[in-house]
Amino acid sequence: MGITHDVGQELEGLVATAHRIREAIESVIEGKDDVVRLTLTVLLAEGHLLIEDVPGVGKTMLAKALARSIDCPVRRVQFTPDLLPSDITGVSAFNQQSREFEFKPGPIFASIVVGDEINRASPKTQSALLECMEEHQVTVDGVTYPLETPFMVIATQNPIEMEGTYPLPEAQRDRFTARIAMGYPGPAAELEMLDVHGAASPLDKLEPVATTAEVKALIDAVRAVYVSQAVKKYAVDLVAATRESPDLRLGASPRATLHLVRAARAHAAMSGRDYVIPDDLQDLAVPVLAHRLLPSLEAQGRRRRPEHVLAELVRRVPVPESRERGVDGAGPDR
Amino acid sequence: MRLPIAAGLATAATSITLYPLFHGGLWFWAGMGAVTVVVTVSVLTTRDGVPRWAGPPAELLALLVYLGVVFTRPDNWAWLVPTRDSVASLLDLLDQGFTDIQRYAAPVPANSPISLLTVGGIGLIAVLVDLLAVRLRRAALAGLPLLALFTVPAAVLADPIGWPVFIIGALGYLGLLAADGRERLGRWGRAVLVRQSRAAGARTQMDTGQISLNGKRIGVAAIALAVVLPALLPTLEPSPLFGFGVGSGNGRGGNTITIPDPIANLRGQLIQPRDFTVLTYTNNDGVPRYLRVYSLDTFDGERWTMSQPKGRPEDRVSLGPMPPPPGLTEQVPVKQVRTEVRVNDDVEGLSFLPLPYPSTTVEIDGDWRADRGTLMVFSTRDTAGGQSYTVTGQDPQPAYDDLRALPSATDPRFDARYLDLPPDLPPMIRGMARDVTADAGSPYEAAVRLQSWFTGGDFLYSLQTQGNGNQALADFLRNRTGYCEQFAAAMAVMARVLGIPARVSIGYTGGSYADGAWQVRTHDLHAWPELYFPGAGWLRFEPTPAGGLGQATARVPDYSRPPVTGPTGDTPSAGPSEDPATSDPTGDPAATRRDPRDPDAEGLAGTQEPAAGTSPALTIAAGVGVLLLIGLIPAVWRAALRHRRRRAWMRAGATGPAGAHTAAADARPAARLGMAVHASWQELTDTLYDLGLGYEPSETPRALARRLVAQCGLEGEAAASITAIAAAEERMRYARTPGAVGALDGDLRRVRDTLRGQAPRGRRLRATLLPPSTLRRLRGAGEKVLDTFDLLETLRPWPARRRGSAEPVDPERRADGPVLTGSRR
Repeated sequence: MGITHDVGQELEGLVATAHRIREAIESVIEGKDDVVRLTLTVLLAEGHLLIEDVPGVGKTMLAKALARSIDCPVRRVQFTPDLLPSDITGVSAFNQQSREFEFKPGPIFASIVVGDEINRASPKTQSALLECMEEHQVTVDGVTYPLETPFMVIATQNPIEMEGTYPLPEAQRDRFTARIAMGYPGPAAELEMLDVHGAASPLDKLEPVATTAEVKALIDAVRAVYVSQAVKKYAVDLVAATRESPDLRLGASPRATLHLVRAARAHAAMSGRDYVIPDDLQDLAVPVLAHRLLPSLEAQGRRRRPEHVLAELVRRVPVPESRERGVDGAGPDR
Repeated sequence: MRLPIAAGLATAATSITLYPLFHGGLWFWAGMGAVTVVVTVSVLTTRDGVPRWAGPPAELLALLVYLGVVFTRPDNWAWLVPTRDSVASLLDLLDQGFTDIQRYAAPVPANSPISLLTVGGIGLIAVLVDLLAVRLRRAALAGLPLLALFTVPAAVLADPIGWPVFIIGALGYLGLLAADGRERLGRWGRAVLVRQSRAAGARTQMDTGQISLNGKRIGVAAIALAVVLPALLPTLEPSPLFGFGVGSGNGRGGNTITIPDPIANLRGQLIQPRDFTVLTYTNNDGVPRYLRVYSLDTFDGERWTMSQPKGRPEDRVSLGPMPPPPGLTEQVPVKQVRTEVRVNDDVEGLSFLPLPYPSTTVEIDGDWRADRGTLMVFSTRDTAGGQSYTVTGQDPQPAYDDLRALPSATDPRFDARYLDLPPDLPPMIRGMARDVTADAGSPYEAAVRLQSWFTGGDFLYSLQTQGNGNQALADFLRNRTGYCEQFAAAMAVMARVLGIPARVSIGYTGGSYADGAWQVRTHDLHAWPELYFPGAGWLRFEPTPAGGLGQATARVPDYSRPPVTGPTGDTPSAGPSEDPATSDPTGDPAATRRDPRDPDAEGLAGTQEPAAGTSPALTIAAGVGVLLLIGLIPAVWRAALRHRRRRAWMRAGATGPAGAHTAAADARPAARLGMAVHASWQELTDTLYDLGLGYEPSETPRALARRLVAQCGLEGEAAASITAIAAAEERMRYARTPGAVGALDGDLRRVRDTLRGQAPRGRRLRATLLPPSTLRRLRGAGEKVLDTFDLLETLRPWPARRRGSAEPVDPERRADGPVLTGSRR
């Protein structure tokens, strides 16, 4: 290919580590290559992941597998309607011995927080996650506690179950870097799954393949990935197109642009590139943007989902041609 | 509501083309008033509840009332309601208008009769357009009445209609079509699904914006083509296939030029109390010379008039010497005269140059053309007022005896119009002509006899007479009182009776010398006959008495003065029984031989021959050639572009073989390298486009390479090459440093050859001859122009109305427009 020949040592290490993690996860989740890759991308982009799919396709398994394969604190919260915000963030309890209030950290104080069936909790509890996810900190009783680094929320939710659920508000959906759907495994993968999962959970055998420090280094490397002006412009164009599409009632937010570029950096790094290309953005447009968009009623009537609209926009927004004008002066106007 | 207004605007826009037909613009505003009245009534009657048929009658009635108010207000009852009297005077005015129109040549004074005619006409056209476009919903047909209006100036004026005016008129019609189309589309209905998006709300009409935008673009493009294309194809102009304008040589069609009736002007100028200087001139020999303006060649029994002068493009005086003076041969000694003329700034509307006859060259600014037969120099664009010009001429200085010896016969091929006489010419004139010249031995002697008969003292000069028709001439000969008009006309008619080709010239006498130049004044306006003699050409005669009792500055030409001995009578008649009035068909054949370059065979009858013989075939060949050349432009452009892109690599310093990633690459200036890589990339995408493999603007280099490899089944080296190009381009575009890049032109050539090898032959041929990528570039350039026009769309005199929607409609339209891929694809 001739593309990776210039990549530095750091990037090579990153690729290797990422590969290890992917292999670890894939030993648990069969045939979900792209989902795993995307999950890692979100992790490296310091984002949060929303896994949305029907029950039983391995959402929780994926979350747990990721958590296991990295040697870092992992907490799991099962969201229920009666869950309180303090059940997530922690409480200040009065210590009888020291005679003063003492903060008992909640499950949020972990590197990877798996929020299972997040849409079952009340909006109040869901919103408790807001500050954590965006600002990587928790404020309880006026005291702000920083969260771990890396910090990633992997939430799962069930799209078809309507009873007793509180759909995530737009504001909260916007805080997730990406939303992925697991999808059913292929017949071969499902067959293999029967063999693997039949006896014992492969999750138990999963050993951590990376340390927190390694992941931190990876994240730093991702931050250093170069994004040219043209690609930034392309990201803005893509997002702007969603805001102006007649098929969408709500377009993507500026935060979405930020997330998109961040995820693209991670995506590029995992491909062993130290610069972002529009292909990264194109690959990530649907998972990063789709869950933030609201289709117009007309589009809904035509059964057009935001994913379709996005795919069409990606086909229509021209990629940046060059950073400077071409020889024949016909550079950017194509 | 929109359609009637558009119809009115179309009529108004088209009537602007009438502007050059009139002096003054009051008629125009009155016409606009008429259009407004019609439109108002039309709008009122298109409301619901008014029967459909009621519109046109109501408009006609309103138009009548309007005309009454404007033109015959005093006769109206309460200034408004037409009465029997007012209708009668309206009819009178109309009648007078028709007479006036017959009488004047354009531009006509906009007096009330003519204005009434015009305003009424515009109003009627407006009603007709309204009927067709609004009532019958046949907007395209409404172009016919508009076209009728449009043809009036086109037919009457010599000048082609100016392109700005054409554009205005065409835009008016397009506006009408657009309004019609919009209403039509608006009625198609709306989508079944009610749209509840941001611009939602009760939108009862379809959004026709995009369609109308397209329509507008087509319209604008059509107008631009109509204006620009003829200008780009000058070779087609002189072709006899298209008889437009004065330029064509065949003299038919719209060859009109503004001809004031020179004779009618003459007396008016002579009796004018104000006598101002018309022009001054100086010449190299200090001899005053007559300056001819018009040459009248036609006598119809009513008056002398001028047939249409023909100014062919190749007879532009700026292009070189004028056509040779008809009939003048080397046998006649000539004197080279150089005259510098300056016409006064106050002279208005003079589109013919005052020139001494015959002139050989005229140096003047502007598009002035010479008429071959008469050597009149005129222009359809410029006027002589304020002009300075230099004329060189050959003043014929024939000796009296030489002229007397000229043969009597005229060339049978000579243009018969110079001998035409009306059948009802009073016999008395014929008789008198023969009586006076009974003893003349040659045509020339007869002419001299006539001249001396007029100037001999029997005739009185008086400006109290009028006319030069049959009756006026008979009266003149009987009463022997008249002025130059009658003298010149009578002598010319009598010469024709005697078989001598004759015409009447109108111009100025030599004037008087003052302040170092010859001053020609209004009162020097003069008419004189010119007679044609084979071998000598047209010679001026002067039958009008000169001096204080006649035309003050008239001078009898020297050659027409008999020698002092008085040769009359001494000369034996060449043929005693021969009647000079009948042109002798068996006349001396030497006359024709002696003058092989007979002027009128060449200048008049033969005018079309050279053009008709060579022009059509040549012109068509040239046209085809030009078209071919134009057709080759994309191919040549494409080849040049490819060459330039290849050279980009040389500039970047890459000479190594394909795919050689040399370390020296880093040393090359990054910018040049980037340009070279980008050039290769563009060449690749253009090649793809040419071969019909497509290239989407949203396709990244990597994606394109992937697609090509899959789509065309590229393998081995070709696949590696295309991947290398894509990778280089990608790094060049997006990476922090371009990295090491080898020369890609070899890769490019390999990919190109492979792709071409796979393409069908037709596509390859098209890629070479009519490369779609170049066509797309051309289109892109055109669309840029159109985009500029689209900006006009946003210029609105008032903010766009919002139809029940909280949001403006525009952002939505923008959404599928420029934001995505723009109009350039």
